[in-house]
Amino acid sequence: MKYVRQVATVTMKDLRAELRTKEAINASLAFALMILLLFSYTFDPEQEMMRQVSGGLLWIVFAFAGTLTLNRSFARELPNDCLDALIAAPIPGSALFLGKCFASFVLVLAVELVSLPVFGIFYRVHWTPQFPALFGVLLLGTWALTIIGTIFSALTVNIKLREVMLPMLTYPILMPALMSAMRLTTSLVNGQPIPEDDFAWLKMLVGFDVVFTAVSLVLVETVLVG
Amino acid sequence: MLSALFDSSVWTALAAAGVAAIASILFLRSRNFLYDSLALATTEIGLVLLAAGIVAGAIAGRLAGGFWWTWDSRLTTALVGVLLYAPYLMLRRAIEEPTRRAASAAVVSIFALFDVPLIALAVNWWLARRTVPAPFSAGWMILPVAILGAALAWMRLRQEQQRRAQDAERRTAQEI
Amino acid sequence: MSAVAVEGVWKYYGDYPALRDIRLEAAEGACLALIGRNGAGKTTLLRAIAGFSTAQRGKIKIFGKEPREAETRRQMGFIGHGISVYDELSALENLTLFGKLYGLPNPKKSANEWLERTGLERVRNGLVREFSRGMRQRLAVARAFLHEPRVLLLDEPFTALDDRAIAVLQRLLREGLAAGKTIVMSTHQLREALELATHVALLTRGQLAFHGVRTQEMVDDPGYVYARYGEGA
Repeated sequence: MKYVRQVATVTMKDLRAELRTKEAINASLAFALMILLLFSYTFDPEQEMMRQVSGGLLWIVFAFAGTLTLNRSFARELPNDCLDALIAAPIPGSALFLGKCFASFVLVLAVELVSLPVFGIFYRVHWTPQFPALFGVLLLGTWALTIIGTIFSALTVNIKLREVMLPMLTYPILMPALMSAMRLTTSLVNGQPIPEDDFAWLKMLVGFDVVFTAVSLVLVETVLVG
Repeated sequence: MLSALFDSSVWTALAAAGVAAIASILFLRSRNFLYDSLALATTEIGLVLLAAGIVAGAIAGRLAGGFWWTWDSRLTTALVGVLLYAPYLMLRRAIEEPTRRAASAAVVSIFALFDVPLIALAVNWWLARRTVPAPFSAGWMILPVAILGAALAWMRLRQEQQRRAQDAERRTAQEI
Repeated sequence: MSAVAVEGVWKYYGDYPALRDIRLEAAEGACLALIGRNGAGKTTLLRAIAGFSTAQRGKIKIFGKEPREAETRRQMGFIGHGISVYDELSALENLTLFGKLYGLPNPKKSANEWLERTGLERVRNGLVREFSRGMRQRLAVARAFLHEPRVLLLDEPFTALDDRAIAVLQRLLREGLAAGKTIVMSTHQLREALELATHVALLTRGQLAFHGVRTQEMVDDPGYVYARYGEGA
């Protein structure tokens, strides 16, 4: 399938370039670890409090560190005017967009999967029992972060104050997804399955992913070419 | 009365968001800048009304229960609404070229509108455990607030159109 | 049907009309040199033809189709101010990437061929960030020619090239023209560009001051067109 190959080409290009320089991933990882460390000054790993804030803390770490990576997504095309060449190439804008989404998704997820054990160690949380479900929530939440972060990375690529505008646009829109992910993660990371009441949050997260993936794909040509 | 004011402003702002999103879609299809001006005008006025409403709601909460912020789900949703649409205005200020600005702003407006119901639901679920939401109490006040909003938006639209006309005149003068 | 047709194009940046009522055509196989002072609108016009921006008024057609259609994009090669290749990838990786994006049947083979044709075969695995300026420019040329485009849009391609890169580019352009390619090239009245040109167009403050066949006088004295048709003529 030609389309799939085009998406894969873009994804592999981004991943190869990032793994050579490791700019985004190093910054993102350092930032994540730093937030985890800073927060440890606030909380004693005393059981009950930790249990309640764990989901929130984790997703704050993921969202903030993730934005560093997502900002690079289209910004990496600016030196040498590479964005021109990508837009001129006969691939659909959606293929370019999805290719970058998948690359960012992998990078952000990698930082999350490193942060999780660190979190477990610093805060003495046993996150392994429900790992499959936890991983599922990570995937859904990270996709939400990625899709919104990438489309706005494309939107803000040429603006002054890009580094300020990207978080300003991304975080408010992400709120429903972040809230869902936080709520679900709080139970799962403490080894508890998702309670009945909280299944609505899972639906909200999935719904968010579906709706905004669709909206992004519809609007991507406008964002890229104006 | 203050909480009725708050509720009215929330509904008016919601209508403004809807109009802005529709205007944004129409701009993207037709590239007619009237729609861009309309989207800008309604978003600005909606945001102003919403902010004023939040203040009213906060005061109402203080008078009723003694706290400035009651974490009432409607009040919190309204606040998130402000955070959602303020970047629209910031973005416009950050892009100078008019076509690019209008198109980018239109995209943000559309994204924001899709988010509004999700935010309302999410905040409601989140806070339902903590507070009992106050009964909806806009009542008759919604009419004057909505009319005020529409009038302000209309004035803002006229102002924006005038500004564009002046720009166009300046443009033509340069061509001669 | 001409290869490139610009029909009554106006382009504004805010209040400022960067292009005013541009009407010009380039037939297939022609080489059009676009000359003009800095800020005259050469880059704006080229980018509009390439489909990077849309004109507020008027139409642009490449072989009768819109610049943004996939088929048109496949047939178009563009060199702008930047080299549009990735610093952190190797020359071969860069060309293979673009080969894949352009749907070439054997991207790696085409990439290697073009590395040889631009004299970069010995550094094929070197990262672009370590290349000299001339090497980077030659790679940019390889990228633009890689997919055998029918139309080439070049924005001041000879500026800041070293001698070897100039020679490579001239040779490739000559071969391209002989093979029937159409070239629209903006230039700062450089002899190298005017020699290749079949037609010349002069842009002054966004307007077309002259559009016609390239004569020997223009090659001998590049300032000729300005003196004759430019401002204060």
